[in-house]
Amino acid sequence: MKKQKPNRKTFSELLEKNQGLIHKITLIYVDNPADREDLFQEICLQLWKSYPNFREESKFNTWMYRVALNTAVSNIRKTKNSFAFESMGNYKQIPAEPADDNEDILQLYRAVSKLNLIDKAIILLWLEEKSYDEIASVTGLTKSNVSVKLMRIKRKLEEMINDAN
Amino acid sequence: MNEKKLKEMWNKTENLFEISGYGSSDIEQFLSGRSKSTARGVRKIIIMDLIVKALVVVTLGVDFILYYDTTNVTFVCIAGILLLAGLLFFQRRMLVHFNKIADHGQTTRDTLISMLTYLKTKFNLTLLAVSITYLFLFIAGILIYFYLVYEKVRPFDGTDIVVFAGFIVLGIVFNFVANKVLIKYQIKHLELCLNDMNMNEDAMTIVSQNIETQKKQNRTNQFLLGIVLLIGFLLLVGVFKNVLG
Repeated sequence: MKKQKPNRKTFSELLEKNQGLIHKITLIYVDNPADREDLFQEICLQLWKSYPNFREESKFNTWMYRVALNTAVSNIRKTKNSFAFESMGNYKQIPAEPADDNEDILQLYRAVSKLNLIDKAIILLWLEEKSYDEIASVTGLTKSNVSVKLMRIKRKLEEMINDAN
Repeated sequence: MNEKKLKEMWNKTENLFEISGYGSSDIEQFLSGRSKSTARGVRKIIIMDLIVKALVVVTLGVDFILYYDTTNVTFVCIAGILLLAGLLFFQRRMLVHFNKIADHGQTTRDTLISMLTYLKTKFNLTLLAVSITYLFLFIAGILIYFYLVYEKVRPFDGTDIVVFAGFIVLGIVFNFVANKVLIKYQIKHLELCLNDMNMNEDAMTIVSQNIETQKKQNRTNQFLLGIVLLIGFLLLVGVFKNVLG
């Protein structure tokens, strides 16, 4: 398989278009803005480094999830406590959104951020409308494992959201 | 739980959180930055060692020229250069091997398994090869020092050898242990992630099997590195006691 010749400018433009997913990953994996920016940069760097090995047989989007999630999972936390997600409250809220909706979304994020690193990756992929096959190809789990794990994670999320209410 | 509603909420998150989008020029800047990952840490250790080893080879080359008329010292220099050349080749191979492991394009499970296996097996060999450099650095440095001060190798007595050898052994052990401690937390983190990933298949069993296989393959390398370390010490004794001539 021929390796791609990476073009920094083209690659940056491609990342610019797809940066939303990296932001979502940093939001659920890191709890403060400075660390989030660090993780964002780290993911960009890892994507750039792995880009020559990217094979067209997998979709760019799937490959991007794989590298970004692997970077987030391998990223050692500076504090050993789980992410409290307190800082989320400081985020600017868009006035156009009804307040109740915003509260629900914040609760969802708080709940997701309390999951373990692997479960976060799985639920994120599911929320991003990825198929079980795609989730399996990103995580390396079997399709049946993905299905069982997802069921447990959704139940856990439900409990956490209900408890919060 | 209404799954559709969950996904809808999720899709609104980008609007809810104040996310400063980066332009392609910002991203280009990130790409020229430096990674803070463990992979970078390991790469840095190997690359630094390659540089130091190369510098020691050059220094031994200078020693060879300075002591050209002293047969025993030139012998030490040539032996040192040959051993270091072998170690340079070995570390280069380690770097290539590690670059393959550190590719985040694999699945999460494969990334975790290969990194954990590496840190528990081949990384020890890398550290051993790094620690050995300390010995050769000492030999090359002390030969330069002797030349500048005495213009010859000053024979040492038994006490000198014990004291100097003691310091070198301490240096090697300290170097090895300090680097091991650095990755201890990373190993724990990887094990935790793999445990979180476990379902019916036991990823940790795969890691254990991989480690067992790697250990068998590494035995020859460990033996060779041990021999290099032993010869290095003999060369050192040769320099100190000036007995090779």
